[in-house]
Amino acid sequence: MKITTIRDREYKQKFLRQLMSACLLLMPVAVQASSQTPTIKLFPTTVLEEIKHTGNVAAEMETGLQTVITRLDEQQTLYMESKCEGNEGDPGCEQIARQMGNSYLEMLTIMGDKLPEMETAVNSTSASLEKRIRRELGQKKTSWSLQELLVGEQSASGKNADRPVLRGRSGMRLSDRFHQYYKLVARSGGEVNSSLAVVASDIYLDMQETSSLIARTREEISRATLMEQLNQSFGTITPEMQEVVAGVKSILFGEEEALTPMTAPPASQLEQGYESPLKL
Amino acid sequence: MNKSRTSIVTATLTVAALTTALTGCNSNPPTATACSLPEGPNLDHAISAARFDLETGCEHQFDQYFQRLLTIAEGDPKKDNKTSFSEFLIWANEQGLLSKRQARETYTRYFGIKYVSLVSDYSVCDQTCPHQEEVMREMNKELVDKEQGLLKISADRREYYRANRLFQETELVLEATCEACGPIE
Repeated sequence: MKITTIRDREYKQKFLRQLMSACLLLMPVAVQASSQTPTIKLFPTTVLEEIKHTGNVAAEMETGLQTVITRLDEQQTLYMESKCEGNEGDPGCEQIARQMGNSYLEMLTIMGDKLPEMETAVNSTSASLEKRIRRELGQKKTSWSLQELLVGEQSASGKNADRPVLRGRSGMRLSDRFHQYYKLVARSGGEVNSSLAVVASDIYLDMQETSSLIARTREEISRATLMEQLNQSFGTITPEMQEVVAGVKSILFGEEEALTPMTAPPASQLEQGYESPLKL
Repeated sequence: MNKSRTSIVTATLTVAALTTALTGCNSNPPTATACSLPEGPNLDHAISAARFDLETGCEHQFDQYFQRLLTIAEGDPKKDNKTSFSEFLIWANEQGLLSKRQARETYTRYFGIKYVSLVSDYSVCDQTCPHQEEVMREMNKELVDKEQGLLKISADRREYYRANRLFQETELVLEATCEACGPIE
């Protein structure tokens, strides 16, 4: 038979008191949690199709530009190797420069033709996403419930590998970017709400940036075309021309390294930690 | 006659003096503590000392005591420290030093992943976006506290990583959402 001492009783009472206070502290949180069934509709089929379409338009533009940009690169290499810099009067160098000018004009023409369609596609996707984000995240959520949405999937699965990489867009083709977006959204099937909120935000901000970049580029194209037509008569390569080509390559084909992701947690730290009754 | 009168007066004066002295003591009881913040590297001892002081007249210095305990805990980082702080805050709530809400928010601020800076009652568009920068500043300060609580005190890199990740995601999602909500009227 077990004898319960006063010390044991005191210990039990103390334990019971702590348990009671823990339950009391947890109660409002539990009620709050059970009342939330987050279902967010950020990517209906229409938005998904728009993303896909934007990716296709970007791919068409890239294909068209790829040939001419490769040619421009080759011409520039030839120009440099022939030591044409500072030797512009040389008839051979003049010829290479003129060829480069033509390629440059061709590039501007392709961009001028394709950009309006690209702009329409991007703006349309952006507008649809804006509406969805405003309604689903801006109006239906408080900042606290938005945070719970984001943290929900982290704690439920702990699979950080599946989470989207944030804003690491450099170094990737425009069409690949859209293709990746499409895959991310289509794969999730609306189940991973927290990731979807991040993906939607990322795409939307990207669309905003791309849209303003396209608008600026369109404004510049007619001016650049006129300037190059003037330069053609002198057969020179301007630094501006080199800069524009480099810019286009960077936007479309991505030449910078992607942002380094945050260091992953050490593998040894994966066990379940202490859960305080005070934790919100 | 005079002699006995003198001794009566002397006795009365002595009694009066003693009474005054005793009354003086009563109106100014000896303080058990001088509200000196705990010293030494042992967190458990420091918590005991803090509890004693906070129970005996130093409750107005709760924040200073709590900060001192955090500093002491940094000297011996381990996961159990979370439990010690949780129990200390529950005790503080039971003693009436903190409300339940304050206890929960203080614990979460240092040892939780979520950000108490994001506590709100109204929609993101209406309440958060008009003060987006301020909210992000507060979250940033809270991330520093989480660094202290999760990383320096609890040695819990995984939880700190999650808090950091949540900060980045919230920043991105808030930026997009506030852009979508439109200009503030």
